[in-house]
Amino acid sequence: MNLKPPMALGYVLMTGILVFSFYGLGQSVASGGFESDDHDMDLEYRQEYEHNGRRDTATAGPMYAEECGSCHMAYPAALLPAGSWQKIMASLEDHFGENAELDAQTRQEIEDYLVRESARVSYRKLFRNLGDASPLRVTELPHFVHEHDEIPARFIIGNDQVKSLSQCNVCHRGAERGRFDEDNVVIPGVSRWDD
Amino acid sequence: MSHKSIQVTVLAVSFFTAAGAHADPASIEQLDSYRQQGIGQFDAERGRQLWYASVNERGCTNCHGEIPANVGQHVKTGKPIEPMAPSVNPARYQSAKKIEKWFLRNCKWTLGRECNLQEKADILSWLASR
Repeated sequence: MNLKPPMALGYVLMTGILVFSFYGLGQSVASGGFESDDHDMDLEYRQEYEHNGRRDTATAGPMYAEECGSCHMAYPAALLPAGSWQKIMASLEDHFGENAELDAQTRQEIEDYLVRESARVSYRKLFRNLGDASPLRVTELPHFVHEHDEIPARFIIGNDQVKSLSQCNVCHRGAERGRFDEDNVVIPGVSRWDD
Repeated sequence: MSHKSIQVTVLAVSFFTAAGAHADPASIEQLDSYRQQGIGQFDAERGRQLWYASVNERGCTNCHGEIPANVGQHVKTGKPIEPMAPSVNPARYQSAKKIEKWFLRNCKWTLGRECNLQEKADILSWLASR
């Protein structure tokens, strides 16, 4: 059996990227979280992220990356309120039409992680106008809709390389590290997007 | 035949079996587990048929692609799925827990029910030879 070097390298890089993402998420609140509503949320997030050298030794983050990230981008917990994560984790057997069942213990650990992280790190701006609602999809958040409503459909649904707004990381190159500022947006097949 | 020569023969056979590695279904531990649970025979041909079967337009190949040695793509999220063939992806089938997790999820999605032990053994023995 040959371990193909490019594949092995890919695994290492991917694991590194995912694990690293969670250090950022896990640590942001330690130095204050997001208090201000007036700046671009990503700038605040990035500062928290980059000023943190401490490692998160919890296993739940990597577990989330492994179990959920094998099918789709492991969405940063901060993108949904805790109630949303609880609903999602309670219905994995029908997970947007897919079966994503987990054993009871893993399921609980991941839910606890998501709820905890969502409460610790949240983009206040992202949950604006949400009230007490807990939608199942990030794409249903009023602020999300507002931020994306000027993008022509041909760039998203009509774009074979994008297909759906659910694939944050296709255009937001730092999405898995919680970076969503416009400077990092590259829509595949579109030269440059400025609104 | 003396004990010693039997030992040598066994050793030699094990060595060549190990060298053949991916082509040998026995190299996947989970198959031993199925055997211990009462599955006497693995029918790789039946496994192949299951791989290519389609029920209500759902089948393994929707996401894994036609050729197990190739990279697949999740039909909904578009995320690449590493090859299922151990000949090109030896990292596959190292964890019984993972094997069972994916059989549970994917059999339910594809067939609308769990796969039985015989089906899992057949599919796995076919994939093991890819």
